[in-house]
Amino acid sequence: MENFGNLMDGFVIVFSFYHFAIMAAGVLLGILVGVLPGLGAPNGVSLLIPLTFTMDPISAIILLTSMYWGALFGGSTTSILFNIPGEPSSVATTFDGYPMAQQGKATQALTLAFMSAGVGALFGVTVITVLSGWVTQFALKFSSPEFFAVYLLTFCSFIGMGSSSPFKAVVSMMLGFAFAAVGMDGMAGNMRLTFGITELIKGISFLVAVIGLFGIGELLLTMEEGLRFDGIHARIKIRDVWQAILSLPRYWVTLLRSALVGCWMGITPGGPTAASFMSYGLAKRFARKKDGFGKGEPAGVVAPETADHAAGTCAILPMLALGVPGSATAAVMMGGLMIWGLTPGPMLFIERPDFVWSTIASMYMGNVMAVVLVLATVPLFAAILRIPFSIIGPMIVVVCFIGAYQISGARLDLWLALVFGIAGYLLKKLDYPIAPMVLAMVLGDKTEDAFRQSMIFSKGSLGIFWTNSTLVATIMTLALLLLFWPLIGSVVRRLRQAVAAAPAAR
Amino acid sequence: MQNPSGILLQRVTVEIAVALVAAVAGAIICYGSLEIGTGWGDAGPQSGYFPFYIGLSIVIASCCVLIESVIEQRRRQQVFLTREQGHRILTFFLPMLGFVAGAMVLGLYVSLGLYLFGVMTIQGKYRIGKALAVCLSTIVTFYFVFEKWFQVPLLKGPLEALLKIY
Repeated sequence: MENFGNLMDGFVIVFSFYHFAIMAAGVLLGILVGVLPGLGAPNGVSLLIPLTFTMDPISAIILLTSMYWGALFGGSTTSILFNIPGEPSSVATTFDGYPMAQQGKATQALTLAFMSAGVGALFGVTVITVLSGWVTQFALKFSSPEFFAVYLLTFCSFIGMGSSSPFKAVVSMMLGFAFAAVGMDGMAGNMRLTFGITELIKGISFLVAVIGLFGIGELLLTMEEGLRFDGIHARIKIRDVWQAILSLPRYWVTLLRSALVGCWMGITPGGPTAASFMSYGLAKRFARKKDGFGKGEPAGVVAPETADHAAGTCAILPMLALGVPGSATAAVMMGGLMIWGLTPGPMLFIERPDFVWSTIASMYMGNVMAVVLVLATVPLFAAILRIPFSIIGPMIVVVCFIGAYQISGARLDLWLALVFGIAGYLLKKLDYPIAPMVLAMVLGDKTEDAFRQSMIFSKGSLGIFWTNSTLVATIMTLALLLLFWPLIGSVVRRLRQAVAAAPAAR
Repeated sequence: MQNPSGILLQRVTVEIAVALVAAVAGAIICYGSLEIGTGWGDAGPQSGYFPFYIGLSIVIASCCVLIESVIEQRRRQQVFLTREQGHRILTFFLPMLGFVAGAMVLGLYVSLGLYLFGVMTIQGKYRIGKALAVCLSTIVTFYFVFEKWFQVPLLKGPLEALLKIY
């Protein structure tokens, strides 16, 4: 019950007019970012980080997390009304959300989406509240080899569990590590990989990379498709809203299942996108009438939305407690934490309990506020999408580049953002996963430090990753298992085929 | 839907190109690490130790991607970019490139004004007066939001120096 008391303290800190104003501003900006094509949650958070340099960390994290919730909601709005997922994680919402809107049930679809998203998020925060104390206790036993093992596990799960080619995941991730290595070597203090370019001494900021990869790259992809907004006019009717809210308990099985899937995928680095697709698939598999899916089945909106938000909130837990973010957006936020001078990880819970618990408390309030605000402002944001693209397009471009410049006021960053933009476009079109690259850029230095410190402990023997403790051995074995999962999977499949083929041949 | 002549780029071409670029990048990283030492120094692993293996794994993995995509190509051919898509990309990309290049010389404010104005009048077919109004109000809004409210100065050019705005 210690967690509960801490949480109450958090509520007391957050409960002020200033924090509420920041929360509302964050949610509204987030919805805007989620609605606009090309600006997603990771990118939006990156754009805001330079503006938080002068804020105190608690207000700053409230602003960033609120923006994240807003962006998740904004993404669902465009999925339902325009059949354009504002966020990759709301792609699954278009399958049934858009057909519902076409049938004139836009209000129901939106309300169901927002309410189930809210339920998912609150479920996620509750899980965080309950688990955080335990995870921290667990993480306090960690030293360098354990930390390296956890990082390795995170990265291996991207390679082994990803949907695309594992080699592409390796390329993308390793490039991220390489970018992180550029500049000053924190342990030895000398320059590396700058190739004589003085502007590279400060390193390549992951924020620039995120703005390029997610912002400019996404815009190029959108442009290539030829942007068309065939929006459905949404007029929110209060009666429909109530009806939809009252119908929500009917989907309790779907809600619970999706929330669990979401939490799992959020804590492990599966991320919200994978969670929403998985949850949609499960909802369809377990549904009594499968024909309705894809044609406007309400459960098809409830399932991905719940999982998406549950995963989004749960991704914050490993970030705070272990320093291992569970999604690209959480990775960016963690970068922000480090810029504010906080070190994510178990010590954060001990050194700055006020920060941790007010973050968690603000997540409860921010999500409730986001549901209310998003319902109230849907018509407004739908109207923004009707502004011609020849105005809104350049505006988005300008905001992205201004954001890139603000990080450190360097001209080179503008060019870097452009190059990362082209890279993002190419990589995304060729199915290279982008999230591992961002994660590697944020975690690169910490991973390397953990590795080098372990090597110093063991005087250069890799054996330390198995002999230091049973904990580290377990994590390492799990990591290698995940890494070679595609290989193991195909061997098992071949064996099965061989077994199946043998009697047939006879 | 698409006639064969409308194809600008085959997917396999781009796959190979990207894999080669990645492999070269990996090789450059290896080279850069070798310069600073990849072995065991006085204080444990040297600076180049970690990046060297990173570079090496990029080279190996991108070669695997290369082989993979050539094999995949035999199974099915995919189009990367049609002529129409290429056109759309360029009409979006070139003005953006102009904006960044312009910002280097003229500063962000002037460059963003010109960029917005150009796209609105040429691509959006807006009247000059309306486009001008939108551009100027955007510049003023950005100026107050960034310089005054958040106090983060943006890149400025000769025009700002002339007007004595810092």
